[in-house]
Amino acid sequence: MTALLRYQAALLLRSNRWIFPLVAYGALIAVGAAGSTPLAEGLDWSAAMLLPVSAFLTRSMLTAEPDASWACVAAAAGPAAGPVRAQLATLVTALGGGVVLGAVGAVFTLLTSEPAGPRPRSGVTGAITATLHYPGVFLAGLATAVVCLLTGAAIGALCNTPLLRHSGAAALATLAVVILALAAGVSPANAALRHGGDVASAARWPGGLPLIGAAALLAVTWTASVLAAARRERSLP
Amino acid sequence: MRLESVGKRYGPRRPWVVRDVSLDVAPGSLIRVEGRNGTGKSTLLRVAAGVSLPSAGRVTGRPHTGYVPERFPGGLPFSARDYLLHLARVHGLRGTVAARRADEWLDRLGAASFAGQPLRELSKGMCQKVAIAQALLARPGLLVLDEAWTGLDQAARGALDAAVGERVADGGAVMFVDHDQARLAGRITERWRLDGSGRAAVAAGGRVAAGDGRSAQDLVVVIELAGLEPESAAVLRDQPGVLSCDGGAVRVPAAASDEVLRQVLAWDGVHVTAVRTVRASTGQADAGQAAGR
Repeated sequence: MTALLRYQAALLLRSNRWIFPLVAYGALIAVGAAGSTPLAEGLDWSAAMLLPVSAFLTRSMLTAEPDASWACVAAAAGPAAGPVRAQLATLVTALGGGVVLGAVGAVFTLLTSEPAGPRPRSGVTGAITATLHYPGVFLAGLATAVVCLLTGAAIGALCNTPLLRHSGAAALATLAVVILALAAGVSPANAALRHGGDVASAARWPGGLPLIGAAALLAVTWTASVLAAARRERSLP
Repeated sequence: MRLESVGKRYGPRRPWVVRDVSLDVAPGSLIRVEGRNGTGKSTLLRVAAGVSLPSAGRVTGRPHTGYVPERFPGGLPFSARDYLLHLARVHGLRGTVAARRADEWLDRLGAASFAGQPLRELSKGMCQKVAIAQALLARPGLLVLDEAWTGLDQAARGALDAAVGERVADGGAVMFVDHDQARLAGRITERWRLDGSGRAAVAAGGRVAAGDGRSAQDLVVVIELAGLEPESAAVLRDQPGVLSCDGGAVRVPAAASDEVLRQVLAWDGVHVTAVRTVRASTGQADAGQAAGR
């Protein structure tokens, strides 16, 4: 599995498929950080924007490899369950890319937002002060980011090959479901960003239910994607 | 390895491409899968290689497997060598062994000078060599070749034939599909025939003879040549399988005669004047002249 992950990570880095998600995420966060935003709000924004980034990162990893070389890798990863491992490595690598981007986003937000307390300060000192004085705010923001990351990865797996093979339809479906996931109340990401109505408190915990929901969503969609890859053919990108 | 009632279809409402195939793949066997276009040869190979899970039945006892697809379009952001290093690690090889095997196979297939080039820029044939190299890196117990010879130059085809021989001699199994009926003829131990309804049956077992059904194993082909220079004769003597090469006559087992014939026909100034078969055991000339292919 290590060799597979290493191969997929090299594929992600060398194919330059990380550039678009990075630029898009950077731009979205920069928009959110314009003006002076309180830390809690800034973290919510960077978490929410992680959802589309994670979904499209998964999409680009699922379409990165031609079918023929995927088949070679699947056989090499065997002799049993080779295609299962190969597909899982693809999905895990995309999720890993999302984790890196999310971490960068969280640190950036910490550096640029106003601490959630009475003493507004920014920069590195402000970030350290914020983390030390308001660890709850930061941790709550990270938990929200995890919910959005997992939901995005689940959407990416659900709306793209091998589950949805028509390339144009897959791109549109990914976009549509991403918007739904941010806007519709049933989505774990939306629930996490609503904090169960507890907007007043500085530490906006997403709650346990969205976390469980997002993890369950990820488990179901990844299983479907892995089984589809192993049982049917992967389409040519 | 054993295929137990293996069936495959690409979706619950799709027709069965392969159905109810129960066959054994013994160590050391060289299996040719035959059938007209669209009878499921590639699908059967993919299921056997473990690239695709069967929709029904199961495959048990599959050894470590190398798979060469029909077309390998490259299209990856790696150099040929880097790609092989990654695949070697996926095959379970480590560090120096991975690097040594990658270089060894690039060299054997005549792709060493392209090792540093991006796969995107390689020709179709060169990409095919990379696909073959990745399958052979780990000396797999099962080698599955889906028209792997297509697009290769003559030297690389010979190198692949030799590699197949090595795998079989090592006790590995090789399964292949190829449009050339003469491919590896004489070395094939079993033919599986797909009948068009998705079912496969063993068409012939044991050593399959080329031509009239005599065992090809104890036949020796004598190729008589004119215009053979001493250096070229020395090259022939070093060929695997060549028994002797003196004067204008090369003696080679029937199984390897095609490769030698291809080679000498490609040489300028060398003419094949006669090809005949003799019994290896008696040294007696067979009645009649055997065709080269």
